[in-house]
Amino acid sequence: MKRVLIANRGEIALRVIRACRELGLETVAVYARGDEDSPHVALADRAVCIGPAPAPLSYLNVQNILAAALGSGADAVHPGYGFLAENADFAELCADCGLVFVGPSPAAIRAMGNKDRARQLMAAAGVPVIPGTGAVADAREAAKLAGKISYPVLLKAAAGGGGKGMRLVEEPGQLARALELARREGEAAFSDATVYMEKYIRRPRHVEIQILADNHGNVVHLGERDCSVQRRHQKLLEEAPCPALSPALRRRMGRAAVRAARAVRYSGAGTVEFLLDEQGNFYFMEMNTRIQVEHPVTEMITGIDLVKAQLLAAAGEELAIRQEDVAFRGWALECRINAEDPRQDFQPSPGVITGYRPPEGPWVRIDGVARAGWRVPPHYDSLIAKVIVWGQDRAEAIARMERALGEMAVQGIATTVPLHLKILADPEFRRGHYDTGFLARLLAGDGR
Amino acid sequence: MALFRKPQYSSMPARPDRPRDIASKCDQCKSILIRQELEKNLRVCPRCGYHFPLTAWQRIQYTLDEGSFCELNAGLEPVNPLGFPGYDDKLARARKDSGLAEAVITGRGLIEGEPAYVGVLAPEFMLGSMGSVVGEKLARMLDEAGAQGVPAIIFSASGGARMQESIFSLFQMAKTSAALARLHRKGVLYISVLTHPTTGGVTASFAMLGDINIGESGALIGFAGPRVIQQTIGQTLPAGFQRAEFLLEHGMLDMVVERKELRPVLARLLRLHRGGER
Repeated sequence: MKRVLIANRGEIALRVIRACRELGLETVAVYARGDEDSPHVALADRAVCIGPAPAPLSYLNVQNILAAALGSGADAVHPGYGFLAENADFAELCADCGLVFVGPSPAAIRAMGNKDRARQLMAAAGVPVIPGTGAVADAREAAKLAGKISYPVLLKAAAGGGGKGMRLVEEPGQLARALELARREGEAAFSDATVYMEKYIRRPRHVEIQILADNHGNVVHLGERDCSVQRRHQKLLEEAPCPALSPALRRRMGRAAVRAARAVRYSGAGTVEFLLDEQGNFYFMEMNTRIQVEHPVTEMITGIDLVKAQLLAAAGEELAIRQEDVAFRGWALECRINAEDPRQDFQPSPGVITGYRPPEGPWVRIDGVARAGWRVPPHYDSLIAKVIVWGQDRAEAIARMERALGEMAVQGIATTVPLHLKILADPEFRRGHYDTGFLARLLAGDGR
Repeated sequence: MALFRKPQYSSMPARPDRPRDIASKCDQCKSILIRQELEKNLRVCPRCGYHFPLTAWQRIQYTLDEGSFCELNAGLEPVNPLGFPGYDDKLARARKDSGLAEAVITGRGLIEGEPAYVGVLAPEFMLGSMGSVVGEKLARMLDEAGAQGVPAIIFSASGGARMQESIFSLFQMAKTSAALARLHRKGVLYISVLTHPTTGGVTASFAMLGDINIGESGALIGFAGPRVIQQTIGQTLPAGFQRAEFLLEHGMLDMVVERKELRPVLARLLRLHRGGER
């Protein structure tokens, strides 16, 4: 492996280019028209235009990206995240063209890409999944099943979506009536009265385990990240470790994640996402078969460069560390600074950044594309920078993040910085007692 | 401590000198289309809607319920009844290239659960031309459909009667038409699907005799080809001449259906004509 094409843009393209450079690998950037002045084009050894600005014509244009890779003499393709990163067909086409795809095998991507199949696969591999049932026949069967799953349970219309036909049942006395209502709602809204039952997870946290594997069957986990601060499933702030995890629970979740990775013969860096309830039970949600936006917090507490690790694993090298060699030190936080206006319901705020001053000082890391004079294009995601800090403990990390964001200035466009400061100041967040509903509650509080 | 080490022994995956067959060029709009993308779209160009030709087995795979197809008379193979020069070699080559014994596959299967007898002409075998075995297999299938009271569907894609079997090929026009007449007398539905290209003796017999005649979008359908007609009559032909849409406009077809709609449309027609249920 000598020359890597980065099939992405934005901060992750910069991140990959930097890792390549440190490993002595040449880099080829690709860009859409309108992205000529983007930082990743300037930083790479060479750059190839792959089409017009809309992503389907450029960053998702498989034909043009493969042509750029072959034409520029690249021998590997790093997909970053988003775009083609979890496209098994693309991974397969890279192999057909003799290019190393920096990521897991197409089979592993496919296995985890289908939610139902992934769930079955995980259950078979001994990874806990949210207990659930098939279609519920009648009230008597429902009572039996609910007893087995244990209350509270959720009744869901089979054809449902968007909360329609969904009923929360706290105790046996409510079950019969709730079943009747869920049925009727399903029938009315979707002409289908079939109802399923699932365990209801109260106030869950989103905790994910970072996996690192090679092509030779070695797998280690690099601990967890707490990504519960999210709005409509969009993560905004992540931390490692998770304030709710004991070392014993970390070991258990870590082992489950390693089993998940082994079940699909995973290789490279990947993330197994779990829901964690208040009693310390955890359930498999999905596996992301790529590098994650929030990977730096894991890098900060383990000292392991995950993107370099991806490249080395893809080159066929063997993992030289064992699980017991993985040590965690201190606390890390990441804030995703998006070009969005939190006061205008998070509307995208593209435009020219007229002034930019990134935070500086000890233990502050910026992975970003924001520059003064740079125009944030409206076609892609709105992430302009990630501010990552490390502290000896959680309190120091929070104080350091507040200090860093206080130094940061972005002019010309609206960003999520004010919201991040608000989250950091919130007592619930500072205590570490937050869950996936936290941000919605915080934002709803604004309206009052 | 190093995170990774070079493995002591490693196997290098063999690198192809040039990419394997990963893409096709659209004949109409010249876009380069990735294999998977094209196959997911049933071999229809997602940019311009051009319908790539299908092999007989692809047609069966795209149209029938998975695993439902049961082939009939697979063992029937053509001979060279007239000793036509070079025909034996041509047949041998066609068999080798297509993996088929003749230019038609017949059998029984399900479309969205609805049973049907299905005959599919194979353009990959001597341009789907009709020799005596093609006609015989279709006639047997139609008789079987009549005996069972199950609807029949034939997907045509053919250059016409096979010249190497001369008069024996032309007999097949009468044979298949007679089989259809028997099916008709029994009151069993026959749907003809005309795909690109359907010409010559096939158009002049069973392809145009459907109770319902369906053209696949963009298919060339005619007796003689447009070039021959133009040379004969010495006139410029109108735009879209002999295309399915043109034929629909002029009353030769009952409907024109895009490939991705073909399966649901056929299933609906079969359901509507289900015997004894109203």
